[in-house]
Amino acid sequence: MKLAFMSAAHVHADAYVSCLKSIPDVEILGIADHDAERGKAFASRYGLPFFENYDALLAQKPDGVLITSENSYHKALSLKAAEAGVHILCEKPLATNVKDATAIVRAAREAKILLMTAFPMRFSVPVRGVRDELLQGKLGNPLCFNASNQGQLPPKDRAWFTDPVLAGGGAIIDHVVHLADVMRWYLGMEVVEVYAATNRIFHAHEVKIETGAMVSLQFESGVFATINCSWSRPSTWPSWGGLSFDLITDRGAVHVDAFKQNLTVFGAPSAHQGSAPATEDHDWSSAHGDGGSGPRWLYWGSDSNQMMIEEFITAIHERRTPLVTGEDGLHAVQIVEAAYRSIQAGRPIRI
Amino acid sequence: MKIGIIGTGFMGTTHAGAWVKTGANIAGFLADPPSEAEPIAKRYGAKPYSTLAELIQATDVVDICSPTHLHAQMATTAAKAGRHVVCEKPLALTVAQGETILEACREANVKLFVAHVVRYFPEYALAASQVRAGKIGKVATAEYRRLSYRPKKPVGNWFLDEEKSGGILLDLMIHDFDIARWIAGEVVSVYAKKVSSFNKDSPSDYGQVILIHASGALSHISGAWAYPPPVFRTGFEIAGDGGLIRHDSEAESPIEVSLRQGKGEAPDVGLPASPLAESPYDLEIADFYRCLQKGTDPLVCAEDGLAALKIACAAMESARTGKAITLLQQKGGGR
Repeated sequence: MKLAFMSAAHVHADAYVSCLKSIPDVEILGIADHDAERGKAFASRYGLPFFENYDALLAQKPDGVLITSENSYHKALSLKAAEAGVHILCEKPLATNVKDATAIVRAAREAKILLMTAFPMRFSVPVRGVRDELLQGKLGNPLCFNASNQGQLPPKDRAWFTDPVLAGGGAIIDHVVHLADVMRWYLGMEVVEVYAATNRIFHAHEVKIETGAMVSLQFESGVFATINCSWSRPSTWPSWGGLSFDLITDRGAVHVDAFKQNLTVFGAPSAHQGSAPATEDHDWSSAHGDGGSGPRWLYWGSDSNQMMIEEFITAIHERRTPLVTGEDGLHAVQIVEAAYRSIQAGRPIRI
Repeated sequence: MKIGIIGTGFMGTTHAGAWVKTGANIAGFLADPPSEAEPIAKRYGAKPYSTLAELIQATDVVDICSPTHLHAQMATTAAKAGRHVVCEKPLALTVAQGETILEACREANVKLFVAHVVRYFPEYALAASQVRAGKIGKVATAEYRRLSYRPKKPVGNWFLDEEKSGGILLDLMIHDFDIARWIAGEVVSVYAKKVSSFNKDSPSDYGQVILIHASGALSHISGAWAYPPPVFRTGFEIAGDGGLIRHDSEAESPIEVSLRQGKGEAPDVGLPASPLAESPYDLEIADFYRCLQKGTDPLVCAEDGLAALKIACAAMESARTGKAITLLQQKGGGR
């Protein structure tokens, strides 16, 4: 199995390299990046070949590519890969708007390639386990979710995360897609209405996009959810952030915290340096220099990224649809776009 | 100072226990049916009355702990008779009723206290003082949770009758509407969802409300009558541009009991489990008593009670219509 990276803009590219390296029979052909300096640094960091452009990379005939560019490049790179007949694992969000996401899904369908959206929470063992129990009817009928996906502001060397053009937005587009996808997956139904409210009080002088946000979703059956998706975690927070939710049913409630399996480490500023596991969604901890003085949470739970990457490879091998599809990515982008429209309109928006 | 207490359920009983620790004299009780006031009146050496008029005649202060739909009529009657009024939260069922009560008290020149007891819980008071002191900078987002089971009553469970209690958004979540406003200031927009809006027969209820404050801050309030007894859990997370404050009653509970269960029964209304030397209810009534004696302002004033009611009523309207409700900026007090 030959795989390659298209861009190293996203911090997850680093995590995915170590995931791939632990899988036998996987060969990483190399990386191309429109930011040559960034691409070369990535290539040398992991001892990979660097290609001057994407065509040269695709000419190596990889079986699949991992697209870990800035969000706004997903469409161009996906279309290129699809044209070359190469399978795609695309970082979330699938695109910065519904039009681009639709184009990506269509291109993959027409090229008959496999398109998977990188939603690692589908592979989180606690998240998956609770869904299994819900589908088996052990938890009662869902009534609503009360959810949180909050983190620290992405660090300065990943400044594109806070660039409205490159990222497609701020805290909403970065965070909402994860939980929106989990909830769609739990309920097996779509979101029909979205309300959102935002502000820019956290890091007001550093960035121009929303840093505080709350989004309310309503599903077809009437089940609703709120997602607090803010970049609210101060630099002293013990980790990059987290993802958790209460699922309320007619039998009671279940609390799921996907990143709670942590050791708490006090008073060892060097303890977290370089030892952060690849599983963390964004390991900003070492990037925030002032974050090392307080207690740190060191994650010891299972690695969702590893299982997600393995699913991509297995789906290619077995020539089947992956557990997470391009359509799933598209639905999440629809929800995000409706959220941004709701902020403009000051009212809920139907999808 | 003679106190007359209306209602002898959980809250009337709790207030009686708090008044007796002040210098005030509990003169009488009123209950429906009147005979229900007899045991508690006997315990406190007070008289059971059978009409509001008789109770008012015998007292200086009327403490209203009756079901919410009765507050407006009782409070205005007491005020017009020149009696000071203590009113359990929520102040009333509707904003119009609430305004009528404030107007009646103003005209009669009597004091009105709305018993938003959560302001007297030390974890909330400490968080508010930290925010006031600028410890977390400017508040950007805040979340408040109040998670419990459906209130029970031996008979006539008025909590479950929205015509009488206003349901979960008014009866339970008004606590945190008041706190959210206390922390982040006036509210300009309210968006709410609740389970009973789409599932009328649901055995449990859950509300989620997003508030936009005039400052730009966002608050999320969740309230549950959905957990199995004896869960009563509160929590908040207030995030500012300079830090974050977090509270979780369960994580901070100093006592953890792990005993094999006998035939355990949950209380009628779930209560916080962190023991304190001074109960927040005692602190609240003591504050009201002090204000009555000295003419000072309480920690939570009548205008705060009305402002919380306006938020709750907007939330009910939002949950009913599916719209975000805009609130006109209101002037409020409190400290």
